[in-house]
Amino acid sequence: MSKNVKTAEDRLIERDRMRFVKNSACSNLCYLALLFNVFYFVLLYRQDVANYYYNIQIGASIIYNLVFMLIVFMSSESVKHYHKNYSYVLLVVGLMQIVRIFVMPTRAHNATVVVEEVTKVVMDNWTYTKAVIYLGVSAAALIYSAVLNYTRCTALEAHVKSLGEKA
Amino acid sequence: MAELSLQHIDKIYDNNVQAVFDFNLDVKDGELIVLVGPSGCGKSTTLRMVAGLEDISNGHLLLDGKDITQTPAKDRDMAMVFQNYALYGHMTIYENMAFSLTLRKENPNVIHKKVLAAAEILGLTSQLNKKPAQLSGGQRQRVAMGRSIVRNPKVFLFDEPLSNLDAKLRGATRREILLLHKRLQATMLYVTHDQTEALTLADRIVCMSMGHVQQVGTPLELYDSPDNVFVASFIGLPPMNFYDVKVVGNELQGNGIKVALTPEEKKTLAGYEGKEITLGVRPENFTEGEGFKVSVTNNENLGMNTLVYGTGEGGVKVTAKLKGWKNYKVGDTASFGILRKHFFDKETTNAIRGDK
Repeated sequence: MSKNVKTAEDRLIERDRMRFVKNSACSNLCYLALLFNVFYFVLLYRQDVANYYYNIQIGASIIYNLVFMLIVFMSSESVKHYHKNYSYVLLVVGLMQIVRIFVMPTRAHNATVVVEEVTKVVMDNWTYTKAVIYLGVSAAALIYSAVLNYTRCTALEAHVKSLGEKA
Repeated sequence: MAELSLQHIDKIYDNNVQAVFDFNLDVKDGELIVLVGPSGCGKSTTLRMVAGLEDISNGHLLLDGKDITQTPAKDRDMAMVFQNYALYGHMTIYENMAFSLTLRKENPNVIHKKVLAAAEILGLTSQLNKKPAQLSGGQRQRVAMGRSIVRNPKVFLFDEPLSNLDAKLRGATRREILLLHKRLQATMLYVTHDQTEALTLADRIVCMSMGHVQQVGTPLELYDSPDNVFVASFIGLPPMNFYDVKVVGNELQGNGIKVALTPEEKKTLAGYEGKEITLGVRPENFTEGEGFKVSVTNNENLGMNTLVYGTGEGGVKVTAKLKGWKNYKVGDTASFGILRKHFFDKETTNAIRGDK
């Protein structure tokens, strides 16, 4: 039998382990999403976006970033302890990351702005690609974390219920 | 299977202070050995040398016949339980117990099985998700033991594990350690300065003083046939009474003391006619009757027993542990007979056992 083939007992022990071991995988995925979000906004604000967007949009994006990071951090702590409802929160903020690709980066991509009579490209191809990658990875991490947490929480609930029935 | 052999072990520190002198001991598989002695006698140093936390200056340490004198602590396959538990405060009990196995990168499922099994043995199953700060001292010490059990070591080492617990908890945890030993049948070395722990736990006791082994034997041997004055005085509570006496004919005579010898005792002291010896009498070997006449200085009722303290002729001090509830008043005259005597050579302080 291959070493990687899991027996029914292995799966049962894995479920039982969840009673005592923190859901680190989901939590770490949230941190990964946070990290790539940081990469994204550092990249974005290094561009000349202030001359292209209205200031209120910049302000809104900064506030969204702060709120996003707060929510993801709180969710990371909650999923660590198998809180099922935070799967929905992570799913929503994950989808929002995808939406964000079409808000600033896509609109800034190859757009030009005239600053002191010089025409500048707000976001070149390479920068745009990086921004999409950062937001994409961040979104993927959050959505995967949401799905994984939901699956694990459901399995744990069923396992605990079965233990209760046995007892 | 784990047999431990300590052969001519010395511990000499860099400042030339010698803490342990020529320590010899063979520990059988599954045996619980208790190292007992007053503070500074070298018992913890000996344990730390066995664990590999201290270098062995001279001698050899063998585990199952293999010389491990120079083997690093991590490779000795021994687990140590400390007085202060040494638990990680930020980890749950489960994580604390699993920690050493996680470091060894063992399969998480195997770790889980081992932790649950150890928790079941120690009655910690319902506490696994708690942090150490949420547990009582006794429970924390059980966690420390659990952390050792999951490793399945060849030898368990306990360094005064009950010293931080209150008296009631100490008794309960002591019984748990005994049950644990019976269940695991593991080789254990246990250090304590508490003779009650030593007498109740040990298969054999090693009594130490000033870095020297004074006696190795079963608890009964140490209590009933102490090899010397030190062991006689250390084992037993209250301690043994000692009197300087001279062997004169069929009796022992001393300052205010005159005790008759039985023919057997006379035979034991055959070579000591006219010489001074030390007479030892355990408090519980005194009984109300003809013999020592003392003026009572204190009467302590312990429920089942009464401790009577008195002073005899010539200022001889007597501590007697009498059965039942007694009501001596200070200044009363009490008379005690002796049920059992111990004799010690005055010069060497060794026990006199005659030709036996």
